[in-house]
Amino acid sequence: MSKHLINPDKCTACTSCVAHCPVTAATRKFRGPKMVGPALERMRLSQQDEDPSLEYCSNCKNCDISCPSGVPISTLNMLARAKHFESNKQSLRDNILSHGEQMAKLSSAIPGMSAITNLGMAIGRKSGMLELVGISGKAPLPSYAGESFIKQFKKLRQENFPDKVVFFPGCFINYNDPQVGMDFVAVMQKNKIEVVIDEEFVCCGSPLVVNGYLTEAHDNAQKNTDIITKWIEKGYPIITCCTSCGLMLKQEYQELFALDAVKTNAKYMYDSLEFLTILKDDGRLNKSFTKFDSKYIYHAPCHLRAQGFGLPALEVLRLIPGLTIEDADAGCCGIAGSYGLKADKYDISMSIGKNLFDRIIATGVDTAVCDCGTCRLQIGHGAKVKTIHPISLLSKAYS
Amino acid sequence: MKSDLLIIGGGLAGLFSAAVAAKSGRKVHLLTYGAGTLTIGGGIIDVLGYDNDAKPLKTPEEGLEKLSANHPYQKIGKHTLEKALEFFKEISIEEGYEYIGELGKMQWLPTAAGTLKPTCLVPKTMDARVLWHTNNIYVVGFDYLKDFYPQLVAKNLQKVYGPYTTITAEMCSLNFAEGRDVSSLDVARWLDTKDGREIFIKQLKNKIKPKGVVIVPPILGTLPNYEVLDSLERQLDCRLVEAAAMPPAVTGLRLRMMLLSYIKKLGVTVIEKALVTTAITENGHCTAVVTDNFDRQRAYQAHSYILANGGLYGGGLKAEPGKFIEPIFNLPINTPATIEEWSNVNLFSDKKQLFAEIGVEVDELMRPVSADGATLLSNVHVAGRNLSGYDFCYEKSGNGVALASAYKAAISLQGRDEYE
Repeated sequence: MSKHLINPDKCTACTSCVAHCPVTAATRKFRGPKMVGPALERMRLSQQDEDPSLEYCSNCKNCDISCPSGVPISTLNMLARAKHFESNKQSLRDNILSHGEQMAKLSSAIPGMSAITNLGMAIGRKSGMLELVGISGKAPLPSYAGESFIKQFKKLRQENFPDKVVFFPGCFINYNDPQVGMDFVAVMQKNKIEVVIDEEFVCCGSPLVVNGYLTEAHDNAQKNTDIITKWIEKGYPIITCCTSCGLMLKQEYQELFALDAVKTNAKYMYDSLEFLTILKDDGRLNKSFTKFDSKYIYHAPCHLRAQGFGLPALEVLRLIPGLTIEDADAGCCGIAGSYGLKADKYDISMSIGKNLFDRIIATGVDTAVCDCGTCRLQIGHGAKVKTIHPISLLSKAYS
Repeated sequence: MKSDLLIIGGGLAGLFSAAVAAKSGRKVHLLTYGAGTLTIGGGIIDVLGYDNDAKPLKTPEEGLEKLSANHPYQKIGKHTLEKALEFFKEISIEEGYEYIGELGKMQWLPTAAGTLKPTCLVPKTMDARVLWHTNNIYVVGFDYLKDFYPQLVAKNLQKVYGPYTTITAEMCSLNFAEGRDVSSLDVARWLDTKDGREIFIKQLKNKIKPKGVVIVPPILGTLPNYEVLDSLERQLDCRLVEAAAMPPAVTGLRLRMMLLSYIKKLGVTVIEKALVTTAITENGHCTAVVTDNFDRQRAYQAHSYILANGGLYGGGLKAEPGKFIEPIFNLPINTPATIEEWSNVNLFSDKKQLFAEIGVEVDELMRPVSADGATLLSNVHVAGRNLSGYDFCYEKSGNGVALASAYKAAISLQGRDEYE
């Protein structure tokens, strides 16, 4: 338990986080993770002390990754932001960006509505309406899929297997990129595993936390944790394909909220690619891949790197004969969920991603592989290449 | 996932042992928790600067023989130390960020306090030898940059270089419109840009006499190459020397980037934010080390292991009332029970500090030993700051011991076939 205790005094002020913070590198308006996080937290413990530059933290977690002392710096920032919004009101923009799930539910409830929503966004972009509320007209806004993952899944006939897993799709896969979910099911089926979904799951809460809606996020955390507990008690592992959902469900729920069940649940929660490496180590991964003759570049999402188990996608994809994939290893893409969509953060976000874009462009590949949905949007936007989730690439290799 | 070698720690000893082992064809996994103290260090390789009486040595080599028998260098041997430095220089050349220096020469590097510190290998941005061959030294600071005051540096260096050298303090204005306090990293990022370099040159061009030498804080670009140095020296027609300064020291960042780039090209798998908490051992043999994350524990298996996770500061050793603990393998650490004996009464005394010398005792293959000298683990080797027998801060030997012990550990690994 003590390892998750938030203790700003563990910070030795070594500045490793400052040196590795992509936002600090991109803008001088941000005072940096050490100052805004642990240094100010000591003040906050005795009195309300706010730093206006706190709004620049993107919660990308490179500070946590680089901290040698285990200080959850980004979480300190998110808690301070929530404190700020206890007595201040979020903008309409932040409200919209935090509640994508509600918008998505509306547009997927009525047949054809997603097309109208997408059209609305396109008009909003062209007419300057988006800029008016503070959403960048240049940013890579996600579009809504014609049919959500859950709807598509329910039409699917799976082969039954004794081994079953519960899939937590998350908002992005469910509403924006359902093919990733379908590919996940296909890959599991190839490995003689049946996928179960639970329609009661709600948004993991990540977009709520970054915009200061901590109470709402706590409600979501409680709901999801109760559902997960129920499935884990039945012996089902929980799998995510979205690295930010995975991080939130397993780790940030522990850091932000005192939910005892998460600590036990997290033992049975897996990232989809990590789950496949475990199958591989157990000698039960289906390796009957078709031969590929293509080159890819891989971008590791920061929220995957923060989880401390390496880059399982590379380990699995490199089993595909003829496929070559190199690690871009070029840092944060800059989008950090909804951060790069905000008009006043767009330039920062693109400046952060420049390293990665240049790296991808220099390799000359036409497709970049990445586990995170919003990273994929940003890469497509910044490097002008196609993007794919590793599970989708794997699914192709099985067919 | 099983590897030939698993390294715990991503500091200089961890990264360098990964380079040595991977170069010899081993499949290496490296677990790191945080970016390592290497990031904030000065990025230079001190080998040995002072003898046991705090007298400056003429050369690092000269001091080696007089070291006590339990000093890591005595166990590693001069020959291996030389090979380690040679290989390190080879890597630096291959990566386009050459380090210069040798065991037989001491380099004296100016610091942000205007003193000189002894070191052995430095990047070309810190080649301070040129300072002895000029009549005009300029110390350039930047407005808003704290922790580097050119007047102070110039005044103190005047005592070093004598009355026949003119040392002038100059200020350069940064065109930063707004924002936080300025660090040397901010200035380095500014000089990464063409705009920044042009503004810098414009302000200094007329102030510097031909053959002058300019001392700056560590700001000559963030990347491990000499593009910024070469471009500024060419345009200013002078030599530039980076002084050793406060964290975040850009030179440490560059060194880390250089080594990461090298080992990744050799296929080393680096796993970040992986905190190793325990090890599984059987009959004096390690079978796995275990990380503890927010979700669960994970076991990493390998044929051999190198423990290079630092000392008290890096987290490889922990101090508790009356004892030192090595938390992963629970190795014995010889520690006086009374804390008063751990240090001198004067923290900044001219004697070595015992707390700095406390660490893991090893055999000739860098494997941990018991109090009576028996090897405890046949396939675990120790490198870097957690070794006993030296006070790096006192004698200025930190990165030298890291390189030498890492090299020794990596060449002492037993062959794969012995386990299969």
